[in-house]
Amino acid sequence: MAAIAVEERLFSLVLALIATETGLTRDQVLSTVQGYRQRYAQDKDNSGLERQFERDKDDLRELGIPLETIDPHDNLQARYRIPKGLYDLPSDVRFSPDELMLLKLAATVWREGSLSAESRRALTKLRSLGAGASDPVLGYAPHLRAREASFEPLNRALDRREIVAFRYLKPGDAAPRRRVVAPRAVVQFDGRWHLFASDEGAGASRTFLLSRIVGPVVVLPRRTFDADDTLTARTALAELEALWQSNVAEVDVEAGSDAAVRLGKRGIAPADAVSTRVSLHFTDLNILADELAGYGPEVHVRYPESLRHAVHRRLQGVVAAHRDAESS
Amino acid sequence: MPGPLRAPDRLAFLLALVPYLQDHDTVTVTQVAAHFDVTPERVRDAVTLIAVSGVPGATSQYQHGDLFDIQWDEFELHDRIVLTHLVGIDDSPRFSAREAAALIAGLQYLSALPENADRAAIASLMAKLTRAASAPPTQLLAENSGSADALALIAAAVRADVQVEFDYLNGEGVHEHRFVDPLRMESVDRDWYLRGWCHLRAAVRTFRLDRISQLGVTDRPRSAQTGARLPDRLFEPSAHDLTVLMELPRAALPLLADYLPELVSDTVADQAGGDRCRVRLRLASFHGLKRLVAGLPGIVTVIEPAEARAIVAAWAASGAAHYEADV
Repeated sequence: MAAIAVEERLFSLVLALIATETGLTRDQVLSTVQGYRQRYAQDKDNSGLERQFERDKDDLRELGIPLETIDPHDNLQARYRIPKGLYDLPSDVRFSPDELMLLKLAATVWREGSLSAESRRALTKLRSLGAGASDPVLGYAPHLRAREASFEPLNRALDRREIVAFRYLKPGDAAPRRRVVAPRAVVQFDGRWHLFASDEGAGASRTFLLSRIVGPVVVLPRRTFDADDTLTARTALAELEALWQSNVAEVDVEAGSDAAVRLGKRGIAPADAVSTRVSLHFTDLNILADELAGYGPEVHVRYPESLRHAVHRRLQGVVAAHRDAESS
Repeated sequence: MPGPLRAPDRLAFLLALVPYLQDHDTVTVTQVAAHFDVTPERVRDAVTLIAVSGVPGATSQYQHGDLFDIQWDEFELHDRIVLTHLVGIDDSPRFSAREAAALIAGLQYLSALPENADRAAIASLMAKLTRAASAPPTQLLAENSGSADALALIAAAVRADVQVEFDYLNGEGVHEHRFVDPLRMESVDRDWYLRGWCHLRAAVRTFRLDRISQLGVTDRPRSAQTGARLPDRLFEPSAHDLTVLMELPRAALPLLADYLPELVSDTVADQAGGDRCRVRLRLASFHGLKRLVAGLPGIVTVIEPAEARAIVAAWAASGAAHYEADV
């Protein structure tokens, strides 16, 4: 007998669990549902099939299918079902062609990682609503990138409300320090990914740059946390925005240079042809210092002193690393 | 195109296809494939599977009335899909927390586009997605600020079907006046790029928005080149390349990903810290190289050629001189 395709088994499982009012026990599923019943052995050991069922349940939940367990404390008596009211898209949720165009574009923002697969799935679901999308005037291809290794594990922990630990290298510190946190949100601000989290050591919320997380993000076994409606991605962005607003650097740029053109764009007051002084907002002094060092002599930091010092030290370091003994 | 689909993705397609077919009495395989952006083969496979699926039913034997049904002749002879019997599902499934979050974060990022200046519309769309999810969406957002004025000007030029003009400071430090037919706007995180037909070079070019000055909409019509094919890669390696050998911590490799570094050696000897590697990088010129290296201070060191090392050292030294003079 030909093997039953995985999606046929999953599809049959969804149909069977939606059709039942009272729920099906595990044995009922295994002995009657297409894809399981062919492999079910009456009065024998079905542990392989039972594990398969556990994995399939996880797959359905990952798709956002509300799989309910009734009487969950007893593996044999527990019954499973999918309440149709919670499965169906609410009837007032429909999208106009303009909205669909926007959602289609929003889905293309993710090009790599699990969010790209999830966006594609969301699009498939949107398309089932039938309407076609309108076309934008100008073609856009916007992309968000998440290259930090910690991005995926933090997102997973966020979803499952798991407490995690990682080593974090704070600029200026000689060695990374271990942090234990409840992840609340992951946000990109000013081109960088940040983790907003409740830090157990500090007893308060803290924002971490993903690029400074050193080594793996470790999920602490059996440690979860409760949701907190006050600690959201919006809160995190608002805090970063406030920080960005309050930090101002003043730099002189060489007229006509790369620095003048590019930093001038970001200046608080648009730079004009005459003035070479640019004021910049920033969130992280060390990241700005890295960037400014790249401009070499085209940038002269005037304020604050800490930034002057940071840029100077970086440039000295680059000189030291590249000056050969005989040429100095 | 995306790679092979995992079983959950194929399941999502089945669950989405059923309500669509229910709403569309007679559609062809080709129409469905176009609508869902999949191959006709995938549609045929899915329809065949749906048509023989159903619920165990009262007898637990998957009797005829417990199964979906289609008009098989229409399907087999004319590639048309007519669903005649439905089982269990008749509506689109909700989004998962992650699916909704991916779209919401994407929308937030897109709200920087001038077309989306209507913040209320975006907010209501996000609220709709939240309601359409079976669990509260993951807290994930991306803010994309700035560049709105330039994007609006370029969009206006496209609507009027005219060229834009601007001063461009290229990667070699050369200022040139350009006339460009805008084709597409691309972005990576907070950086925006205009891709278009450059009349100065008579070729498709990519321009960083933050290197553009004096942007204006012209009254010159866009040329017939608007159909020009854009290369997939945003960054094309240029022909006259400079090859340098660099050393950096392995963990820092993603910082150079745009330059397609070629790994030369995995670990570097005589380095107590270990975990450093050497890569070969191709760049257009020293102009870009010294900026790249000085902008990754303490991370990247140029090993060869000696000329490159000297140029980087001189660049950083003249930058540092500002502060030595001050003290």
